[in-house]
Amino acid sequence: MTADALLKAENLKMFFDIRTTALGKGSVKQLKAVNDVSFSIGKGRTFGLVGESGCGKTTVGRTILKLYKATGGRVVYDGADITGMGEREFFPYRRKMQMIFQDPYTSLDPRQPVSEIIGAPLTLHRLVSSNAERADRVRELIHMVGLKDDHINRYPHEFSGGQRQRIGIARALAMMPEFIVCDEPISALDVSIQAQIINILEEFQERFGFTYLFISHDLSVVRHISHDVGVMYLGNLVEAAAVNELYGNMKHPYTQSLLSAVPIADPVAARGRKRIILEGDVPSPLDPPSGCPFRTRCRNVLPVCAQENPKLADIGGGHIVACHNMLV
Amino acid sequence: MSGHLLEIQNLRTDFSIAGGVVRAVRGIDLFVDKGEFLGVVGESGCGKSVTMLSVMRLLSENATVQADKLAFDGRDLLSQGHKKMRRMLGDEIGMIFQDPMTSLDPLYTIGNQIMEPLRIHRKMGAGEARRRAVEMLDLVGISSPEQRLKQYPHEFSGGMRQRVMIAIAMSCNPKLLIADEPTTALDVTIQAQILELMKDMQAKFSAATLLITHDLGVIASTCSRVVVMYGGLIMESGSVEDIFYHPMHPYTTGLLSSISDVGDTGKKKLSPIPGSPPDLMNPPAGCPFTARCDSAMRICAKARPALAASETGVGHGVACWLTGAAAKGTEALAK
Repeated sequence: MTADALLKAENLKMFFDIRTTALGKGSVKQLKAVNDVSFSIGKGRTFGLVGESGCGKTTVGRTILKLYKATGGRVVYDGADITGMGEREFFPYRRKMQMIFQDPYTSLDPRQPVSEIIGAPLTLHRLVSSNAERADRVRELIHMVGLKDDHINRYPHEFSGGQRQRIGIARALAMMPEFIVCDEPISALDVSIQAQIINILEEFQERFGFTYLFISHDLSVVRHISHDVGVMYLGNLVEAAAVNELYGNMKHPYTQSLLSAVPIADPVAARGRKRIILEGDVPSPLDPPSGCPFRTRCRNVLPVCAQENPKLADIGGGHIVACHNMLV
Repeated sequence: MSGHLLEIQNLRTDFSIAGGVVRAVRGIDLFVDKGEFLGVVGESGCGKSVTMLSVMRLLSENATVQADKLAFDGRDLLSQGHKKMRRMLGDEIGMIFQDPMTSLDPLYTIGNQIMEPLRIHRKMGAGEARRRAVEMLDLVGISSPEQRLKQYPHEFSGGMRQRVMIAIAMSCNPKLLIADEPTTALDVTIQAQILELMKDMQAKFSAATLLITHDLGVIASTCSRVVVMYGGLIMESGSVEDIFYHPMHPYTTGLLSSISDVGDTGKKKLSPIPGSPPDLMNPPAGCPFTARCDSAMRICAKARPALAASETGVGHGVACWLTGAAAKGTEALAK
C-alpha cells in the first residue's frame, strides 16, 4: 500500500469556523470535518473512502485537490508536498489531479455546449495547438465515453443524468490526468446506469493507469471498484485495509455495523443474516463526543473510550484500526 | 377477485405539459392483499410513484387518471368524491414519503401533526389524542416522547423525522400503508433502523404495506411479493424468490446483474443495461424495453406483450414475448 504511493495524506486536518447565531454575533465554533486523517494511494490503484453523510469524506477529497485550504497536515503528490504551493506553482498539478462530481446536473455549466465544456480546459492547459486539433480531440474524448458526434454541440440540459456523468468523465479525461477524485460519481444515477459508469471508470484505469480516490456511501460499489478501502466516521478515519481484508475481517465496531446494515439483493441471505442495528444518530460534528467519536453508539465501550480518541494501529498486513478494543 | 384490499385494473395516468402529453402510467394491473408486504421496484420515471399517487388522487391538476377498476376494500375509488377520498386518506390509507425534511410542516410541533389525523378522523379530544400521540412516539422508538411532542421538525434528525412520519401514518391504524422511497434519503445505518421499524409496525398493526423503491436490496430484505415496473408498465411480478432467483424478464435479469454485491469477493465485471429508459412523451408501441434488450425480436417493437402467468411459479407473471405464456397471450394472471 505504501511502496509506490502516488498520493499521501498525512495528518490531514480541515476545520471550518461556524457561527452559531445569525447576524455575526454569538460564538464561533469549530467544525472538525476532517480530523487527523492519513492514508496513501498506490499508483494505478483505487482507494475507496466510505462513510455516512457528514463524515467528512467529500471534504477529504476537496482538501486533497486544494479546493479547501487545509488547516493542518500535508498532502504529498508524487513526492512533492503540494499543501503549501501557490496557485502558479500548483497549476501543472491541476491538470494531473482531476475530479468527477456527484451531481451531473450542477457540475456542468448550463450555458456551455459540450464542445466548450471539454474543449476549454484543453486550451487553458495548452494541450492542443489549433482549433482543428481541439475539435478532433473533443470528438475523440466524446467517443471514448460512449457519446456520439451529434452530441458535441448540445447543451447539458439536453442530456440524461447518465450521459451528463459521461461528459463529466470526458472533461476529466481530457487533461490526461494521473489522479482522479471521484466524489459519489454514481449516487445520483439509476441502478442500470450506475453499472455503465462503473465499467467506464474501470476500463479507463486499465487503459491509462489512473489512480482513483473513490468516495461513496455505497459499500457494495466500493467493494467492487476498490483495491484499498478506508472507513470514516465523524471526521476520523476509523479503519483501513486492502479490500478483501477489510470486508472479510473487519475489526472496528462501526465498520461491522455499517456493513451489516447494507441491504443485500438476495432474499434468503437477507432473511438469514444477523444485522447489527445501530442505536441513535450520528452526533453533531459541532459537538462531538469526548474520546472516541463512535463511543455513543458502540456496543463494546470501555471506560477509556470516553477519555481518549484511539490512534490508528496496524494490526498486521497494513490493516489499520482505531479502536481501544484492539489495543487491550 | 373480491379478496384483494387494493385492486387496480388497466390504470392509465397522463400528464399534459407544454409540448405534449407524458404517458407516465400506461395500463397496469396490480393488487395488494390484506396484511401483505408488496414491493414496487423500478428506476426513476418508470411510473411507480405516479401509480400510487393516482390511487390516492394526490396528483396535480394537469394529470388525468383513467382505470377500468380502482377499488379499495370493496369500494370503488373512481366514483369517490374529493371529500370522501380525504376522509379515507390518513385514516384507512397511511402514507410515508421519501423526503422527511419536506413532508412535515415546519411551523407545527410534531405533537400537533401526530394529533391532527386522530382528532379529524377519530374525533378524539385533545387529551386523548395527546395520550395516543405519546404512545405512538414511544412505539416508533423515540425516547422521552412527552418532551419531543412539543418540538418542531427542525429539532429532529432525518431518521427521527421518518419515525415521526411512521407514527403519523400508523396512528389511525390504517389497512394499507403506502411508503414511497421511505429510506432513500437516509444513511445506511439509519435505513436499517427504519426498515426494521416498518417490519415491526407491519407485524403489530397487520396493515398491508406497499413499498416503492429503486433499491433491490431493500426489497429483498423486507417484501414477500414484488412488482417490477419499466416505462409505465409492469414487466414482471411474483414472489421475492421468483423475482430474485428465477427472473424471466430480460429487464429484471439486467437489473439484477447490474448491481454490485457487497458479499462478492471476486472482481466480476458488472453487466450494465445499455442505453437509457424510453421517453414517455413518445412511448414505444411495443415493449418499452425493446431498444435496450439483447433478445429483442421483430414483434417486440410492434406489439406490447401482456402480463401473463409464467410456468415457474404461482402468481409469477411476465410481460415478454420470449416467455411461452406471453407468446400465447391467453392466460390471465390474476385469479
